[in-house]
Amino acid sequence: MARKQKAGGAESTSPEPAPPADAPAEPAAEAATAAQPPVAPVAPADKPKSTSDILAAARAQKAGGAAPAAPKSTTDILAAARAQKAGAGPAAPAAKPGSTADILAAARAQKAAGGGAAQPGTSSASSPAAAKKAAPPPEIAGLPAGSKPSVEAMLKAVRTGDAAATEPPKPKLPVKASAAPKPPAKGESRRSFLDTVLSPFVIGFTALAAWGAIGSLAAARFMMPNTVLELPSRFKIGSASDYPLGMVSEKYKASRGIWVVHTDTYDGRNIIYALSTVCTHLGCTPNWLDAEQKFKCPCHGSGFYVNGINFEGPAPRPLERVGLRVSEDGQLEVDKSLKFQEELGQWTDEKSFVQVS
Amino acid sequence: MEAHPDLTRGVVQGLGWLYLVMFAMNFVWTVRSFRRDGEFESLLGFKHLPKAFVWAIYTGTLMIFAAVHLTLRTSDASAFVLKLPEWFKLSVDWLIADPVKYFAASIVLFVLMLVLRRWWTKPTPAWILLNLSLLFLGFSMTDYDFRQIVGKPDNVPIVGMLFLTGFFTWLYFRQAVENDDRAAAGRPVKEKELSQQVLVWPDLVYTELVCMVLLTALLVVWGVALQAPLEEPGSSVKTPNPSKAPWYFLGLQEMLVYYDPWMAGVVLPLIIIAGLMAIPYIDFNQKGNGYYCYNDRKFAVVTFLFGFLPLWVAMIILGTFIRGPNWNMFGVYEYWDVHKLEVLNNVNLSDWFWLDIMDRSLPKPDATASLLAQTGTILTREWLGIVLTLAYLIVLPPLMAVTVFRNYYVRMGFVRYIVLANLLLFMAALPLKMVLRWVFHLKYIVAIPEWFFNI
Repeated sequence: MARKQKAGGAESTSPEPAPPADAPAEPAAEAATAAQPPVAPVAPADKPKSTSDILAAARAQKAGGAAPAAPKSTTDILAAARAQKAGAGPAAPAAKPGSTADILAAARAQKAAGGGAAQPGTSSASSPAAAKKAAPPPEIAGLPAGSKPSVEAMLKAVRTGDAAATEPPKPKLPVKASAAPKPPAKGESRRSFLDTVLSPFVIGFTALAAWGAIGSLAAARFMMPNTVLELPSRFKIGSASDYPLGMVSEKYKASRGIWVVHTDTYDGRNIIYALSTVCTHLGCTPNWLDAEQKFKCPCHGSGFYVNGINFEGPAPRPLERVGLRVSEDGQLEVDKSLKFQEELGQWTDEKSFVQVS
Repeated sequence: MEAHPDLTRGVVQGLGWLYLVMFAMNFVWTVRSFRRDGEFESLLGFKHLPKAFVWAIYTGTLMIFAAVHLTLRTSDASAFVLKLPEWFKLSVDWLIADPVKYFAASIVLFVLMLVLRRWWTKPTPAWILLNLSLLFLGFSMTDYDFRQIVGKPDNVPIVGMLFLTGFFTWLYFRQAVENDDRAAAGRPVKEKELSQQVLVWPDLVYTELVCMVLLTALLVVWGVALQAPLEEPGSSVKTPNPSKAPWYFLGLQEMLVYYDPWMAGVVLPLIIIAGLMAIPYIDFNQKGNGYYCYNDRKFAVVTFLFGFLPLWVAMIILGTFIRGPNWNMFGVYEYWDVHKLEVLNNVNLSDWFWLDIMDRSLPKPDATASLLAQTGTILTREWLGIVLTLAYLIVLPPLMAVTVFRNYYVRMGFVRYIVLANLLLFMAALPLKMVLRWVFHLKYIVAIPEWFFNI
C-alpha cells in the first residue's frame, strides 16, 4: 500500500494525490453526500479476472458498510457477499491463485494500480455509471492493466473528478478459515502419554544420547587396547660364551629391542654390553650392517660405530646402553629399566657392561 | 645385471598408450600451429614452409611410436630398442645422486625460471617443455629402477602433482608477465580491463558440477587402478628401510637430516607456519593487490618461490625419488643397494675448535661436580657455536638494515623489519646448514646433547 501511494505521488503532477487506484470504491466513500448507490459491487458480477478485482470488490464492500447504500439488486448483494467470503464462492478461483501466472497477474495489476489509475479494465469499463463524479475517464480506466496513463490523462482525471485525498481503504483480505480440527487437549485420552513419549523431539534426543553413550564407551575401550603394554624389563639372554668377540647379536632386536655386543673397541676393554635399538635422533630402529661394521638408521641416515658412538648423519649422541649383569646362575641378564648415556659419562658404570675375563 | 629385467609387454603397451595420448595432444597442437604460427621464410631450401610442418613431423613420429609399442609381440619385449642410452642415465644419476649437485641444480633452475620467464611463458616454449618432460618420463620408464621408484602406487600421484605444480607456476608467470607488459605500456592490468564476470547461476555452478564429476571419476579410477600401499602391521622394533614420511612431510624429513629433531621437527615448522601467517602484517607493498604481477612485487614473489620451489618441492622430489635405503641418495636409474657406502662422517663445531684448533681434548663436564660447574663447562665447550648463533640472529638484522634492506627498514619500521629479518634468517638457515654440512662436514654448530639442545 505504501508503495502504491508513493508511486502514485511520484507520478502525479498535482500536489494532491492522483485518484486512488480503486476508483469504483470512491463513489462509495462519498455515498453519504452523493446519495448515489455504489456501483462497484456490480463489478464482480462478471467473473473476476484477478485478485485485484476481488480486492476492489472487498474494498467496495467495506465502504458500503461504512455508509450503507441500497444495493441495486440481489445480484449486487450476492456479489458483495461473494466478494466478502472470497474463499468459497464463485469469485474464489481468483482469490486462491491457482498458478504462478495468477500471482504474477495480480502483482502486475497491483503495481499498475499504484502507477496511477489503472484499475483492471474490466470492472471500471463495465460500470459507466461511475463515470461522472470520480471515476477516471475511460481513456485511463480503459487502459489495460500494466500500462501507465500519460501525465495529461492523469491531470485530466484530477481536474474532472474532485479527487479525494482519502486513503484507499485497506482491502479486506479473504481469511482462510483453518479447517484442521484442534488436537485434543492434554489428558483427554490415554494416547496422550504415548504421544508425549513418542514425540520426535524425545525420540531424537534419546537416540542422540544413546549414540553418544555408545560412542563414549567405544572411546573408553579404545583407550585400553588389548595388548601387553610392557614386556618384563629383566630377562636372561644366555651365557657370555654365546657371544664371541666382535659379535653384534640381533637375536633380541625384534622381541626386546636390544643388540648384544661383544667388542673391545670402547676404551680398549673386552666387554659385553646391550645397546638399545632406538636411534638417538628421532627414535627409528637402525639396522646393523655387518659389512660396514656400523648401525645405520633408515630414517635420516644416522650412523653409529659398533661401540654405539654416533659418527655420521644427524644423531646428536651415542646409542643408549641398557643394564647388563651376570646373574646368579651364570647367565647374562638384561635390565631394560636402566639406561646409560655416554654423553653423561654413564658408560663407566659397572652395571652397563659385563667384563669378559 | 640385465638392463631391462622385466620390460614386459604390459609396460610396453602402457607406453604405447602414453605415446598415443601425446599424439592426440600434438595433433591438436599442429592444427593450432598451422592456423597461428605462420611460416619459415626459408628452411632447408624450401621457401614459405609453415612452422606447423615441424610439429606435423613430430606428431607423425609419435604416431609411429604408439603403433610400434601397441602392436609389439610378447617375445619382442626384450629386443626392444627404444630405450635410454647409458650415457644419459649415468649423467642424470651423476647430477642428482649427490646433494650438492642436486641442490645447486635446483637453484640454477630456479634462477633460470625467473630470468627466462618472458620466454618460457610463451605457448610454444611451454608446449615444448611439456613434451620434453613427457618424453623423458616415457623413455625413462623403460629403465627398471626408474620404473620401480616412479611406478610405485604412492609415487604415481606425486608425479601428477609435479606436473600440476609446473602448470600453476607457468600460469602465474604468464599472467604476471602479461600484466607487467601492460603496466610498462601504461595500460590497465588484465584483470581490470577484461573483467570477465561469470554468472554464478548457471555458468559457475555448471563449471563446478563438471569439475566435481570429473574429479570423482578420477578418484574412482585412481582407487581402482592403484593399489593402496599397505604394509605389514607396524612394529616399534622394525623400521622399513628406507622409512619415508608422507610426501607432504618429506621436506621436513630432509630438514631432519641436517637438524636436531627439536629444531627441524618443532621449532622450524612452527616458524614456517607463523611466518606464513605473518606475511600480511609485514607486507607493506600496496601494489599487486588483486592482480598478477612480478615487477611490482619482486621481493615477495622471489622470496616465497624460493622457499616453496627449491626448499620445499625440490625436497619432496628428493625424498620421494632419490632417497633410498639407509637414507642414502640414489640416482633415479640406480639400483637400490642397501650396502651403498656413503662417507658421511660429521663433526661438531666444538670438536673442530677444541681438537683441531686448540689441539686439546674437549672439556668434559664432571658428573660429580655441582650443576653450576657442569653448566659452565658445557657452555665453555660450546662457546664458539653459541656466539656465532647469537651473532647470526642479533647482529645480522641491524647489519642488513643499514645495507641491503635500508629501504625496507625505513618503510617498515623497527618491529616489522625485525620480524621480517628473523624470518628470512630462519629460512636461510636450512640452505646454510646444508652447505656447512657438505663443505665442512659440520654436524651441529651448538651441540649440547646433555640438554637435548643442538643447533
